[in-house]
Amino acid sequence: MQVNLLEFWPMILEATQETLIMVLISLVLATLIGLPLGIALVVTREDGLMENRFAFKMINAVVNTFRSIPFIILLVAILPFTRLIIGTTIGTGAAIVPLVLFSGPYIARLVESSLLDVNQGVIEAAQSMGATNWQIIYRVFIPESLSTIVLNLTIASIGLVGASAMAGFVGGGGLGDLAISYGYQRFETDIMIATVVLLVVIVQVFQAIGNRLSKRLKRL
Amino acid sequence: MIEFNNVSKVYEHEGQHLTAVKEANLQVERGEIFGVIGFSGAGKSTLVRLANQLEKPTSGEVLVDGYDMTNLSAKDLRSVRRQISMIFQHFNLLESKTVYHNVAFPLILAGESKSTIKERVEEILDFVGLKDRANYYADQLSGGQKQRIGIARALATSPNILLCDEATSALDPETTQSILALLKRIRDEYNMTILMITHEMDVIKDICDRVAVMEDGEIIEQGAIFDLFTNPKHPTTRKFVESVMKADIPNSILTDIETHNDSRHIYRVTFLRSRAGEPVLSRVAKKFNVEVNILYGQILEIQDTPFGNLIVELQGDDDEVLKSLNYIKETVSVERVLVDAS
Repeated sequence: MQVNLLEFWPMILEATQETLIMVLISLVLATLIGLPLGIALVVTREDGLMENRFAFKMINAVVNTFRSIPFIILLVAILPFTRLIIGTTIGTGAAIVPLVLFSGPYIARLVESSLLDVNQGVIEAAQSMGATNWQIIYRVFIPESLSTIVLNLTIASIGLVGASAMAGFVGGGGLGDLAISYGYQRFETDIMIATVVLLVVIVQVFQAIGNRLSKRLKRL
Repeated sequence: MIEFNNVSKVYEHEGQHLTAVKEANLQVERGEIFGVIGFSGAGKSTLVRLANQLEKPTSGEVLVDGYDMTNLSAKDLRSVRRQISMIFQHFNLLESKTVYHNVAFPLILAGESKSTIKERVEEILDFVGLKDRANYYADQLSGGQKQRIGIARALATSPNILLCDEATSALDPETTQSILALLKRIRDEYNMTILMITHEMDVIKDICDRVAVMEDGEIIEQGAIFDLFTNPKHPTTRKFVESVMKADIPNSILTDIETHNDSRHIYRVTFLRSRAGEPVLSRVAKKFNVEVNILYGQILEIQDTPFGNLIVELQGDDDEVLKSLNYIKETVSVERVLVDAS
């Protein structure tokens, strides 16, 4: 058992690296999609800053559609799209595309609920001071909800760690892939244990960073 | 300064119509503190928001500082709004930002330079007496301090008009007094026009020059504060006046009045302004063959002017009592206290 772990250590390290890369890049890209979508969901809704029934319904439907597809199916279903963007359907890069499409709409919902928590009175106060809608988004909505958004992004990142384990399906590598191909299919129990321990550590670290960052962002 | 002409606001929700404000007419003069009082749901919140167009009227005309508010472009409306500040019952401060940033906020929105902002914020924080709290956050302040910051923020852009939405309703009586004193100082030093809504008659009596009473979306009575206090016409107005004037009459006296009212001559005597020094009663006692028995007395301060409210019993022949009454009426106002007048 001891021998095995030592033998596989470089592989485990590589897999950890792949997981972190997949999760972090997906998180950044998904946030770039989810944040504006979440903001749009809040401002276009009824009685929102820029009420727009049509836009709200559209965005709402798109977000719901993506949110209802299980990741493993999304992964396969969008293979042609992945090829179009990355040029290939296998590898870590190819896994990032479905991860982004999976968690972008999720983050949109998380951002939406964070922004809806912002005190309506503060928004009214900003309006009474002659703020433009963009100023309200940029100077009221975002700073007032940043702490909550970060906490919610932490939730999303942990969801990404889970989803990334399925990326082995497209040869994306990562800890989940390692656990399945060696730990499960080849009965290397200690590798299974090692990957699970590492996943637990990663999640703990993510949550700790998220909590600390969120607390700091409460006061800007 | 602020003029409402036949302003109505009707909300429509799923086919239901709700009239929040109904054909309101009022004029607030420059440098005046104008109060709107009403029970909750009377429409006063909507009324004050019509002044800065946070609510758009369904019909009617809102003129502020010469601007026809309903016909302004979005851009013009924003710039006019900088001249109309507002403070709120729950303060509505940015929780993620410091006191300094909160006060600077309207100036940042207006695109002022950093040095201008710094100078102005420090000046204003000094004015409201919270200069040493610049780096605090809202959750580190008491309610009264939060409202002072709300006021400082409202003053930052040097507005001409201040709208107060139940500004003292979340504060204890002592803090309320200090905030009212601050508002008064703002009016006196900056010649600010203040439109305030409240459900507390105490607030009205302390600082308002004129007052409008609202009920079910309508302004049912309005006038100078003294006229309203001494001669309230509408039952609701009377209720508000009594919330301040009668609340303290001890029960035993009320029972006494109610049980013996028929056979006794019990009157409410109200003294206006400087006449509140009340030698008239002792003169009556000397001049006519009556005894004056004061059952209850209260001197209120309305706008720093004493306003006496006495319940007296006149004991003597009907004839003498009548003569005394006529004599008293020459200087002060008198009304008979009726059973169950409350």
